[in-house]
Amino acid sequence: MTSVVRLLKPALLALVALLATGCSKADWMVRQSAMDPKGPVSQVQFDVFMATVWLALVLFVLVGGALVYAVVRYRERAGQADAPPPEQGHGNPLVEIGLIMASVAALVVIAIPTLEAIWYMEEIPAERQPDSKLAAWYKGAVPAEAADEVLTVDVVGKQWWFRFEYPQLGLTQETKRTVPNELVIPKGKVVRINLRSEDVIHSFWVPKIAGKVDMIPGRRNHMWIQADQAGHYYGQCAEFCGDSHAYMLFRVVVLEPAAFAAWVESQKAPAPEPAPGSLAAKGKQLFAQKTCIMCHRVAGHYEASAGFGPDLARVASRHTLAGAWLDHRDPAAQAAIDAKGDTEVSAPIDPALQRRNFHDWIGSSGVLVDAAGKPLIPQDIKPGNRMHYYRMFNVAGLRETKTTLTQEELDAIVEYLMTLK
Amino acid sequence: MAHAAHHAPVADKTELPPERSDIGLLRPDRTTGLLDWLTTVDHKKIGILYGAFAMLFFLLGGVEALAIRTQLAAPENAFISARTYNQMFTMHGTTMIFLGVMPLSAAFFNFLVPLQIGARDVAFPRLNAFSLWTFVFGALALNASWVFEVGHLAGWFRDFAWYQSLTYTDFAPANGWFSYAPLSGTFGQADAALHAPRFTGVGTDFWIIGIQILGVASLAASFNFIVTILNMRAPGMTMMRLPVFTWMTLVTAFLIIFAFPAITVALIQLMFDRTFGANFFNPTNGGQPILWQHLFWIFGHPEVYILVLPAMGIVSEILPTFSKKPLFGYPIIVFSGAVIGFLGFAVWSHHMFTTGLGPIPTAAFSLLTMAIAVPTGVKIFNWIGTIWGGRVRFTPPMVLSLGFIWMFMLGGFSGIMHSAAPADAQQQDTYFVVAHFHYVLVGGVLLGLMAGLYFWFPKIFGRMPNATVAYVASGLVIFGFNMAFGPMHYLGLAGQPRRTHTYQAGYGWEDWNLVATIGAFVLGIGVFLAFANLAWTAFRGRRCESDPWDARTLEWSLPSPVPAYNFAQTPVVATRDAWFAHKHGGPKVGALDDGGPAGVHMPSQSWMPLLASAGFLIVGLAVPMMAMGIPHAGWAVVSGLGVLFLGIWLWALEGPGGYQLVTPAATPSPAPAPAEAAR
Repeated sequence: MTSVVRLLKPALLALVALLATGCSKADWMVRQSAMDPKGPVSQVQFDVFMATVWLALVLFVLVGGALVYAVVRYRERAGQADAPPPEQGHGNPLVEIGLIMASVAALVVIAIPTLEAIWYMEEIPAERQPDSKLAAWYKGAVPAEAADEVLTVDVVGKQWWFRFEYPQLGLTQETKRTVPNELVIPKGKVVRINLRSEDVIHSFWVPKIAGKVDMIPGRRNHMWIQADQAGHYYGQCAEFCGDSHAYMLFRVVVLEPAAFAAWVESQKAPAPEPAPGSLAAKGKQLFAQKTCIMCHRVAGHYEASAGFGPDLARVASRHTLAGAWLDHRDPAAQAAIDAKGDTEVSAPIDPALQRRNFHDWIGSSGVLVDAAGKPLIPQDIKPGNRMHYYRMFNVAGLRETKTTLTQEELDAIVEYLMTLK
Repeated sequence: MAHAAHHAPVADKTELPPERSDIGLLRPDRTTGLLDWLTTVDHKKIGILYGAFAMLFFLLGGVEALAIRTQLAAPENAFISARTYNQMFTMHGTTMIFLGVMPLSAAFFNFLVPLQIGARDVAFPRLNAFSLWTFVFGALALNASWVFEVGHLAGWFRDFAWYQSLTYTDFAPANGWFSYAPLSGTFGQADAALHAPRFTGVGTDFWIIGIQILGVASLAASFNFIVTILNMRAPGMTMMRLPVFTWMTLVTAFLIIFAFPAITVALIQLMFDRTFGANFFNPTNGGQPILWQHLFWIFGHPEVYILVLPAMGIVSEILPTFSKKPLFGYPIIVFSGAVIGFLGFAVWSHHMFTTGLGPIPTAAFSLLTMAIAVPTGVKIFNWIGTIWGGRVRFTPPMVLSLGFIWMFMLGGFSGIMHSAAPADAQQQDTYFVVAHFHYVLVGGVLLGLMAGLYFWFPKIFGRMPNATVAYVASGLVIFGFNMAFGPMHYLGLAGQPRRTHTYQAGYGWEDWNLVATIGAFVLGIGVFLAFANLAWTAFRGRRCESDPWDARTLEWSLPSPVPAYNFAQTPVVATRDAWFAHKHGGPKVGALDDGGPAGVHMPSQSWMPLLASAGFLIVGLAVPMMAMGIPHAGWAVVSGLGVLFLGIWLWALEGPGGYQLVTPAATPSPAPAPAEAAR
C-alpha cells in the first residue's frame, strides 16, 4: 500500500501544482499566452481547447479513479501470499463493448466543436466581412478593386526576421517600402494574412491573436486574424529554422483604425533628411560607403537595394531591433505594466537603450574594431545572421571580406539611424 | 532440427574440434570471452548486447537532455551556444528514439520472443547478429559527428585545405530529429559539380547516413522476428495463445517494415539533393519541402507506436503476473494493438496541422487522431480490468507498470487535446507538445521498459535486483519526471516555443523552466541509479530461483540463466498462460521427444555478420567525410561497400554449419518447477 502512495503522490502533487497555477489568473495573462485570447480566432481555438480539457478532466476522474480504486481494493493483504489464485476471469465482452461505445461518444463531444472551428478558421466568416471591407473603414487611398476586400498583409519569413507588406496600401517590395518585424493592423477589423518564405520553413504565431500557420517556401499559405483590443502583442517564429531560430521574434501593434491610416501615410513618406554637416549626415554617407545599402533600403535616401535586409526608413520608430530580440523599452517599466496583466500596454521607447541596442547590434560579430583592428564586440548577438556573415551568400567575392567600423564611424551610423523615425 | 551435423552430439561446444566452414575458413566456434560476444548468434546473448548498448546510448541521450535543460534553466543563459544547443536537441531526440528505446525494445524481442513461443532461437541467427552490429556501427557513425564537432571547436582542422573551403561548419547534426527540408536540404541552382547551396553543413550528412544504416538494422531484425513468430512457435502455441508481448513484437515488426521504407526513400532523396543537386525538396527549382514532411511523418508517426507497443506488451505481461489473474480481454488487447498499428499509418498529418493542409484533410486527420484514442483507451481499460478482482502484489516491476499506466494515461489526455486541430494550432511546436510526448515516451515507454528490465532480469541473469534500490530509483524517476515535464504543459500554453536555445526574461517562463531543470536532474539521477542497480545485479546480484514471480509464460519454466539450447525438449502448449496453468492445476505443458542424448541442432557462430556490418561503419564515416571534401574519402566509401558485400558474400558461402548439443533427457511426465515453494 505504501508503494501505491509513493507512486501516486508525485503525480498528484504535480497536478495540484499545475492546477494551483491555473488558479492564479495573472499567470495565464503573460505576454505570449495562448490562454488569454484577444481576437475571434484565438478565442475559438481557446474554446475548443477548453472543451478537450474538460473532457480530459472527466475521463481522468473516471479512469484514474477506477485505477486507484482497483489497486487499493484488490491489493494483496497480509497472509494472502500463499492463498490459491483468485478467480481466473478472462474478460467480459459486454463491459468491453460498452467502454468502447462510451469512448466513441466522449470523442464525438469534442469532434463537433473541432470541426466547426476548422471551417471557421479557414474562411473569413460572412458576418465579419461588411465591417471589415477596406471601403468601410480605411480613411485613405485604396485602389477601387480593393475597396470590397479586407485588409491584406503579405508576411514573408527569412532567416531570421519577418517582412510585412501591404499590397493594397502601396507598401511592397515594388514600391520600395516594406515593414520589418513590427506588424501594424487596425483594431476590430479582419486582416487576411498571406504567408510566404524566401528560404526555409518558418511559422507565424501571435498566441493572443491566432494560432500558428507555417510559412513554407514554394507554397502559398494564408490565414485570417482579428485583434479586438488595441496594443502591443508578442509573436515568434514557431518552426525550427536554423541557428538563430530562438532570435526570430516579432511584434504586432494594434491601432485604432484612424491611427492606422496615419501610420500608413508615415510609412509611405520618405525618411527625414538629417541636418547638413551633422553627425547624422556623416552617418548617412557612411551607410552607403560601408555597404549597408547593398541589403538595406531607406525610403527617399537609398532605394537601390533589392531589399535583402530589412527596410530601415522608420527603424527608430519601432520598439525593437534585430528580429525583435533587442527591445528598446525600459525592462523595469515594462515589467511593472506586465505585472498587472496588461502586457498589451507598452512602455515608451527608451532612447538611451535604443542607442545602445543599435550600437551593440551593428558593432557585434567583430564589426566594431579599435585602431589596431582588434574586434571590440567579438561575440554574435544572432549567430549566423546574414548581416554579419557573408559566407551564407555563397558569393565568392564576399565570402571572406567583412566590413569593419571604427568607433567614430559606428557612432555616426547609429546617429543616422536614430533620426529615422 | 534435421540438419546433418559434422560431429557427435556434445554437452558443451568447447568439446568440439576446430571446425572449418564450407569455404575452408575456421569458424569461431571454440572461443569464449570477447570473441564469443563478437561472433555469437545466440538470441539471448544478442539480446543482452542490444540491452547493454541501448542503456549506454540512453545515458548519452540523457546527458544531452541535461545539457538542454541546464541551458534553459535561466533566461538568456550562455551555458552552451545556439549551435551546440540545436545539436544537443537533435542528437537527444535521435539518440533516444533510434539508439535508446528501439534497441532496448529489440533487446526484449531478442531475449524473450523465442523463449515465449517455445523455440530454440530466432529464424535467422546470423541475420540477428547482423542487425545488432549494424545498429551498433550505425550508432557509432552517427555519434562520430561529435568527434568532428569537437575537433572543429578545438581547431584541429585549421590547417587543412578541405576545412578552409567549407562554407558551413556544423559537424554534428543540428536540424532536429525531423530534419525538415529545405533547412536540411538545398536551395538555388546547382553548380557545375552538381552542388547546390545549402543551409547546413556535414552534420546533416552524418544524420542522413546514420539513420539510413540504423534503418537497415531495424528492417533486418523485423523480418527475422516476423518469420520467427509465424513459423517457429511450439506445438499448440496458436496465434491466440501467444503471450501479448510476442503479439506486440509482431505488430511492431510489421510497423517497422511498412514505416521504414518511407524514411528510406526520403533520406535517399535528401541525400541526392545534397550530393547531386537533385531537386526533390529544393523550392527554388520547384521541389516540394512539404513532400519531406509527408514522407517523414508517414514514417514518424508509426514510429511512435514502434516505440510504445513493446512497452505496452511488457506491461501486459507484468500486470497479470502480479494480479494473479489473466489479462482482461486478451483478444481485445491483441486486436486493439493491431488496430493501433493500422490507424498509426492514417494519422501522420496531425504533425502537420499548421502547414496549411486545407479544411478537409485537417478535419479527416483530426477525426482519425481522435479515433486512435479508442484502441489506446481500450488497453488502459483492460489493464484496469486485469487488476480488478485480482490480488495485487507490489514489486518493483508492478509499481513501474502502474506508473506506466498512470503517466501514459496523462500523456493520452494531452494527446486528445492535440487531436483537435484548432487547439493544436496554439500547441504545435510549443512546450505543451514536449510535455505530451515525454509523458508518453518517458512516463510511458521508459517506465514500461524499466518495469520489463526489473521483471525479466532474474530470468536473464538468474539474479534478483535489489528491491529497495529499485523503489528509490523508481520514486526518483517518477517524481523527477513529473517535476520536469508537468510544468512544460504550462510553459507551452504560456507561449514558449520548443527548439529555442534561449528565451528572454519577462515572458513569465523563468520559474517553471528552473523547476523543470531541477526535475530533469532528479530524473537523471533516478535513471542512473536504476541502471546502476541493474548493472550491479548482472554481475553481483543475489541469486534467485527460476520462477521468482510465479509468472505465467513459458520462459519462466526454464532454468535461470537460460541454457544455450533454451528448451531441453520442445514444449507442447495446451492453453494461454501455459506455465501458470501448468503450475496451478490447469493443463500441463507437455514435451516433444527431442533433445536428450541425441542433442538439439545449434547454429555455428560466425564472423560474417560483424564483417558485413563493419562495412556500414566505414560507409557511415566516409560519406560525411566525402561531403567535407576530405581527399580520397570517396574511395573509403567504395571500400566500405566492398567490405559490406564481401561480408555478405562470405556469409552466403560459408554454409550454416551447426552442431548437436546434448540436453537433459526428458522426464516421463514433466514435473512442476520449484516455483510453488519459491516465495
